[in-house]
Amino acid sequence: MAKPLKSSRIFVRGLWDDNPVLRQVLGICSTLAVTNLLVNTLVMNAGLIFTVTMSCLTVSLLRKYTPMRIRMMAQTLIIASYVIIVDICIAAYLPDISEALGPYVGLIITNCIVMGRCEAFARNNPPWPSFLDGLAMSLGYSAVLLTIALIREPLGFGTVLGFRIMPAGFTPWTIMIMAPGAFFTLGLLAWFLKAYFPQVTETNKER
Amino acid sequence: MKKRLFSIFYMFLLTLFFTSVVSAVKLYNEERIAMNQEVKLLRIVLHVLGIAVQEGASPQALSQVFSERVKEIAVKERPLYIGYAENGETITGYAFPVGGQGFWGPISGLAAVDPSATRLLGVAFFKHSETPGLGARITEAWFTKQFEGLSLDPIAGEQKIFYLKAAGTGQAANELDAVTGATGTSRAVESFLNRELDHFLKGIWPEVKKKR
Repeated sequence: MAKPLKSSRIFVRGLWDDNPVLRQVLGICSTLAVTNLLVNTLVMNAGLIFTVTMSCLTVSLLRKYTPMRIRMMAQTLIIASYVIIVDICIAAYLPDISEALGPYVGLIITNCIVMGRCEAFARNNPPWPSFLDGLAMSLGYSAVLLTIALIREPLGFGTVLGFRIMPAGFTPWTIMIMAPGAFFTLGLLAWFLKAYFPQVTETNKER
Repeated sequence: MKKRLFSIFYMFLLTLFFTSVVSAVKLYNEERIAMNQEVKLLRIVLHVLGIAVQEGASPQALSQVFSERVKEIAVKERPLYIGYAENGETITGYAFPVGGQGFWGPISGLAAVDPSATRLLGVAFFKHSETPGLGARITEAWFTKQFEGLSLDPIAGEQKIFYLKAAGTGQAANELDAVTGATGTSRAVESFLNRELDHFLKGIWPEVKKKR
């Protein structure tokens, strides 16, 4: 963390090398919960991207003033505020999706990715790199969720974003709608990544 | 000491600032959220009464149908929704709120009975905090559909109007499928819905009959 990181490096880390879901195995709960329909995934991703980037930015802006011993409390407050704002906005403008996402938007507060990035990066780095780091990490999270949703929705419902893509005779796989479907998909993805791109996993020791 | 005081002061200011922002956002959107919930209630009342509405109908269209086909009255301080046929005169059913303690938190829903209160027209749950994918499946169509047409006369010698049994093991007409993997939620639904239906039949229905 000592030397400043280049923006491109921050992005490569968030999206690939230190991908929060596949490499750091964070945010699994929401990954399992909101990936059965692409539309839910997209809204969840938007919420997480907003929360992580804004929280990282705020924590970084306040990093010189926040007393060390209460920093976790301050971070939690900042994160919770952004999450509640997201939750209110979704409930106001996208009521159906708000219902489908249920408690998971509120649970972004406890999503380890947010606090993890604030603690590991934002509190020691200037605002701009922190903002980029938050953006990169949440995009990394989003990319994995979208991939899983793109596997689950066609197999579980036969659709993508509600449009039928599977042939008429296709029998939906009920397991793909349920959490175990995501568990298998996520496991296979992580295994694939570890098996074919093993060299980068060793660079990540931040947890 | 000074450091500690600063910590308290700092946290106080930070909390003040962020809660103000959150409150402002909440206040600004409050009306909209309340409207969303009202529309949701209208939709569910129409649904349990079996009044068809177009898929994706606008909130205005919904309240239009609602005002034409449903009359809301209060019986014993509880709301009762009377459903009318398209001619606006024939009563097609009565809907009333039901609710109780679920596995994780309170569950609210609606039930509707036919004009003679001998059969259920339908039930729907709209507010709960059950586990998504498990207990929350009580809101799914396969679960609520089982209640349509259920006889409200308890079978002789039985105390409950219906029972929830492990999926596929129900024998009698009043033995419905529970949600697999959500025994707690299923038990809770069986308990409070039976109680609420009983309460309606014994406490509210006689009043409704008098008013007709």
